[in-house]
Amino acid sequence: MLLNLVVMVVFCLPAGGAASSGQLLSEPSPGVRGDIQIWSWNIAAASLEKLIPSFQERYPGVRISIDMNGSSVQSRFMLSLSAGVGAPDLSQLQAREAPRYALTGKLTDLTAVARKYERAFAPSFWDSCVQDGRIYSIPWDIGPCAVYYKRSLFTKYGIDPEAIETWEDYVAAGKTLLERSNGQTKMLCLALGGLSDFFEILLQQSGGQIFDAEGRIALYSNETLESLTVIKKIMDAGINANIFPWSFEYFASFKSNSIATYPMASWFGGLMRDYAPDTSGDWGVFRLPAFRAGGLRNSNLGGSVLVIPAQSTQKEAAWAFAEYAMCTPQAQLDQYRDFDLYPALLSTHQDPFFDEPVPFFGGQKVRRLFSLDIDKIQTMNRTTDWMEAVRYIAQALSKWTAGEREAPEIVLAALEEKLSRRLNRPVAPGSPSGKGRP
Amino acid sequence: MNASLLHRIWAHRHFYLFISPFFLLFAVFGLYPLMFSFYLSFVQWDGLTPMTWVGLGNFQNMFHDEILLTSLWNTLIIGLLYVPPMFIGAFVFALLLNSAWLRCRGLFRAAFFLPVVTPMVVVAIVFGLLYGQEMGLLNYLAVKLGFARIPWIVSEEWSKISVSVLLVWRWTGYNMVLMLAGLQGISNEYYEAARIDGANAIQRMWHITIPLMRPVFIFCSIMSLIGTVYMFDEVFVMTQGGPGTSTTNFGLYLFNVSFTDFKFGYASSMAYTIAFFVFLASLLILRLRKSGTE
Repeated sequence: MLLNLVVMVVFCLPAGGAASSGQLLSEPSPGVRGDIQIWSWNIAAASLEKLIPSFQERYPGVRISIDMNGSSVQSRFMLSLSAGVGAPDLSQLQAREAPRYALTGKLTDLTAVARKYERAFAPSFWDSCVQDGRIYSIPWDIGPCAVYYKRSLFTKYGIDPEAIETWEDYVAAGKTLLERSNGQTKMLCLALGGLSDFFEILLQQSGGQIFDAEGRIALYSNETLESLTVIKKIMDAGINANIFPWSFEYFASFKSNSIATYPMASWFGGLMRDYAPDTSGDWGVFRLPAFRAGGLRNSNLGGSVLVIPAQSTQKEAAWAFAEYAMCTPQAQLDQYRDFDLYPALLSTHQDPFFDEPVPFFGGQKVRRLFSLDIDKIQTMNRTTDWMEAVRYIAQALSKWTAGEREAPEIVLAALEEKLSRRLNRPVAPGSPSGKGRP
Repeated sequence: MNASLLHRIWAHRHFYLFISPFFLLFAVFGLYPLMFSFYLSFVQWDGLTPMTWVGLGNFQNMFHDEILLTSLWNTLIIGLLYVPPMFIGAFVFALLLNSAWLRCRGLFRAAFFLPVVTPMVVVAIVFGLLYGQEMGLLNYLAVKLGFARIPWIVSEEWSKISVSVLLVWRWTGYNMVLMLAGLQGISNEYYEAARIDGANAIQRMWHITIPLMRPVFIFCSIMSLIGTVYMFDEVFVMTQGGPGTSTTNFGLYLFNVSFTDFKFGYASSMAYTIAFFVFLASLLILRLRKSGTE
């Protein structure tokens, strides 16, 4: 069956098609006409759908249909780009996945129309839309991070969330919790096979990278070392439950008292509300612990962008909608209010909506909390191999944490060598692993 | 090709027309992709940018690919873990279903076959609830009985076993139906003759049933071999090949290389190489059959 699948992909090849010019040079006029098709998934698709009426007040000539066939969007998108036909006029992509398409010439170059928004978004999100100085996508939602905690458990076991400022404090609080609950309550879910999300949060917070700006392997650094050390301390202290993220058990844990905190992104709150509406009011959020006192207390996980495939014949209309949905404060705020999509557009963060108390979080002003220091989050050098690299890292971390957990230095040195070999990229010069050769 | 042959084909053109749908579909959806992916084994291609010819480079890369070796090793271990119990189970159930005293035969047959037709996503949900670390049913029972929790699918040591249990559950019924068909194909006269000669139940099993079932066993072995190498949905929905690479079999790895890494050239070269070895192994199994019957 699988062989057939591979074979079918290969079959869908005839390249060419109706690809028009790969650049969008002029601003859309209010009278622009066209039928555009958009690919997106779950709540994001629903949120775009809701924007259509207000969009059509500005651009009455544009008709929009949104296709939300969830899981297969990514592979269908790749196939339609490869085939040269069948791609939508506008598509959602995961932010970390977009760079692999940018330099293939299959996406519309938006530089001429989008450059004016360069300062409108936080640098780390904007930069991932730019490759070689050209703009290929536009940021949509982002995933600033913090720690969700259960108020009743923290009160019961006498833990003060405000006192947790560093990861050191976090591990200490976890130990207290474990002790006072007689082992019934663990601090967080962190499974051997599910380390990659947590590692990505730590990596981006720490200032570490997988690749340097030239695309060389630069995993081994003091920052990455710190990230691994946090994982090691958590595992060594035994304050984690070995529960796979996104498993049924994981979602069930919202309602039980077995897990006290979830270090996660802003969009996670929406999931909690969906899975455990009756826990409303019992949740609070404290800022991501820093690596050392005074350090950065924010990071990013997830987030998505919008792109216009080069083969689209409705580029102007597509951009008109993308610009409305992504770069207009009101549209971005609507999406946040109704669908929990945290706006990438910085000007929205000044809106009074961010200072409203949120009942689900016991009246806390969590929207503001997530926005703090968002501009200080570093840009990740994604490259075309990001997804593959993350997979190798996750596999190595799983082996490492399952075994004796030797010093993180050893893991990182071996990983650098492996990434370099597998991805056919040199190790950055100056890497402490000593493998860096120009 | 001489004129008379063409003439004869023309004369029988209706028949060729009747059989043409298969050949047309096969040519478009089978033969062309097969040949094209053979060509792809010699290039590097991400599906988006132009291909580059690398000759045998993809094949050389396979030797340095430790995840490929791990995935083949995992395939072997998982195969060894689940095929023997599945075979024994299928054979025993087939014997029971074939015995004269059993009532409600159709009901049992349907019940055993049900896992094969149950959508894998549903199966994954149920097994996910069984295998849960903190709140799973199995660990709940384990703790009640005073044992420690078993990290069914969240540890590298247990994950292969857990996947194998799922595979036994899922595929025993399928093999049982094949074996039952084989058992029903054995003429009763052999058993009557043996009984008259005074053979007991064990002798009848050993000298009649098992030798005559050999073709079915061989068929089941080849299907299991191919099934294990190219197995995909079971591991994909249960563990995504993890933790680490502990349940990544060849089929899942092939999927990752093609559809998450977009390395279609390398994926094609791996698919061709492994298909070649599966072909050799199948030949070997068939040869065993011949040597047994001569």
